[in-house]
Amino acid sequence: MIDVRELTKTYRTPFARRKVEALRGVTFGVERGHIFGFVGPNGAGKTTTIRTLMGLIRPTSGTARLLGEPLPSRAARFKIGFLPESPYFYDYLTVAELCDLAGRLFGMPAAVRKRRADELIEKVGLTRSRGLSLKKFSKGMLQRAGLAQALMNDPELVVLDEPMSGLDPIGRKEVRDLILELRDAGKTVFFSTHILSDVEAITDRVAIIARGQLQAHGTPAELVSRALQGVDVTVRLATGDAPDAPDAPDALAGLSDGATRVRRVGDELSLTLAADADVDAWLARAHAAGARVVAITPRHETLEDLFVRQVAGADRAARAEAAP
Amino acid sequence: MIGRIWAIALNTFREAARIRVLYGILVLVLGSNLLAIFLGQLSLHEAGRVARDVGLAGISLFGSLTAIFLGVFLLYTEVQRRTIHAIVSKPISRWEFVVGKYVGMVLVLTVLVGVFALAMIAMLISQRAGVTAGVVKALVLSWFEVLTVAAIAIFFSSFSTPFLSGIFALAMWVIGRLTPDLEAATRYAAPWIQATTKLALEIVPDVHLFAVSGRTLDGSAVSVNGEFVPWSYVALAGAHGLGWTVGLLALAAWLFHRRDFV
Repeated sequence: MIDVRELTKTYRTPFARRKVEALRGVTFGVERGHIFGFVGPNGAGKTTTIRTLMGLIRPTSGTARLLGEPLPSRAARFKIGFLPESPYFYDYLTVAELCDLAGRLFGMPAAVRKRRADELIEKVGLTRSRGLSLKKFSKGMLQRAGLAQALMNDPELVVLDEPMSGLDPIGRKEVRDLILELRDAGKTVFFSTHILSDVEAITDRVAIIARGQLQAHGTPAELVSRALQGVDVTVRLATGDAPDAPDAPDALAGLSDGATRVRRVGDELSLTLAADADVDAWLARAHAAGARVVAITPRHETLEDLFVRQVAGADRAARAEAAP
Repeated sequence: MIGRIWAIALNTFREAARIRVLYGILVLVLGSNLLAIFLGQLSLHEAGRVARDVGLAGISLFGSLTAIFLGVFLLYTEVQRRTIHAIVSKPISRWEFVVGKYVGMVLVLTVLVGVFALAMIAMLISQRAGVTAGVVKALVLSWFEVLTVAAIAIFFSSFSTPFLSGIFALAMWVIGRLTPDLEAATRYAAPWIQATTKLALEIVPDVHLFAVSGRTLDGSAVSVNGEFVPWSYVALAGAHGLGWTVGLLALAAWLFHRRDFV
């Protein structure tokens, strides 16, 4: 569906010699029917990659193919739906007129445009606002309008740049459900985001980009380590046994020794024991101090851990490269 | 292809119709017609001549300024506001987009020049000045002028900011209007000045061809108040303007094709 190889984009300021390398040899592929999450911090190169794929930016070098067609391909764009980042639309149009304009650009007949626009406006939850001009829309409503216009041509490939941006939790869930619905209908969805919980919830494959370079690429299961990282324990302390209380027993005060992420809320103590810690011995000590176990959860690496690690690594590499 | 260009043109028309400055210009043109009536009253039995000359000058001036204003803003704001991202990511070529914007401007300017012309005709009738064939030909030539100026503006707008595009387009329009005068002024100048002026005038559209009233063509005086140009001249001037328009739009499309929309 998408095949990107060694894509680079370098911007040069007109009157200075400064070069900005927005993309540095980005390579990845997206298979048909997958939901692909493209994640990275702000300024990592997500939007530049997407704009290059959409023909808005010409790459400095490298190649990319969409639906088997080399960029820039008009034939491919007939089968692609695109939601730009922070979508800006003609604010004097209504959402129905925006969809109609999109339909005209795809060469759809008037009756089909009308029917499709009605369906999509209902699907994105803008039926009650269909008479308003986009100027009166909130950011979240504009995002929904953008999704509607992106789906007018019933695309095979849907490219969404930060589709959850500006949406409230319910709106985000609705967009996630819509993306899953598109996948179930056989579409391929490529979306960028920096909201990792969305990526973990719905993607089949993930790529992490930082400083213009791809840092990791694969399924979420492949990317995160399954090795035990530690054990999260929460215990309820006996009343009056707070470790900071003047009469706290020594046994209880020692519970947090060697632990990380120690947190005390009311009479509950939460902490993380090391992966190689003797959990049974720790629990015995807690019982002896009068504490009652509330939860014990093994801690594995999350996508967020991986993301932070990859981005920090990219930052370190960039600093080393820049050093004289 | 036609459907996509038409979609952009209709949207451009809709966008331009919301620009309040255009309504201000409309008021100015109506004001220039009232000025023509006033000046006509001051003249001795020349009310009709004054009405025709001032009325046509108003259409040419305000029509061309409107064309420059629309040309430099309508394309630029698409890029600046990023509305273009959702458009050119669809199966539309960039040249189709540029042509669509121009066609939309043609629609707006045609409506405006039509309103200007109706106002002028109403003014001429009120002054019992008579709407001659010469007046109609002059109006058609003014329309051609405005459309050619729009193409000049959109060409500059394809690679420059509205401020610079406006200055460049205005300069080209003024130089194009003054071409015969500049040629005459340098007739006795040093050869290198003559050669430089000739070269400079070659790269400027001959918009003076659309404003012939009061000039001498082939040794004969031409005036909208007397003997005016034949229809064949109007057609040839139109073809000349069309040639420049096609050339300028082709260049604009090529430049626009090479741009990154970041």
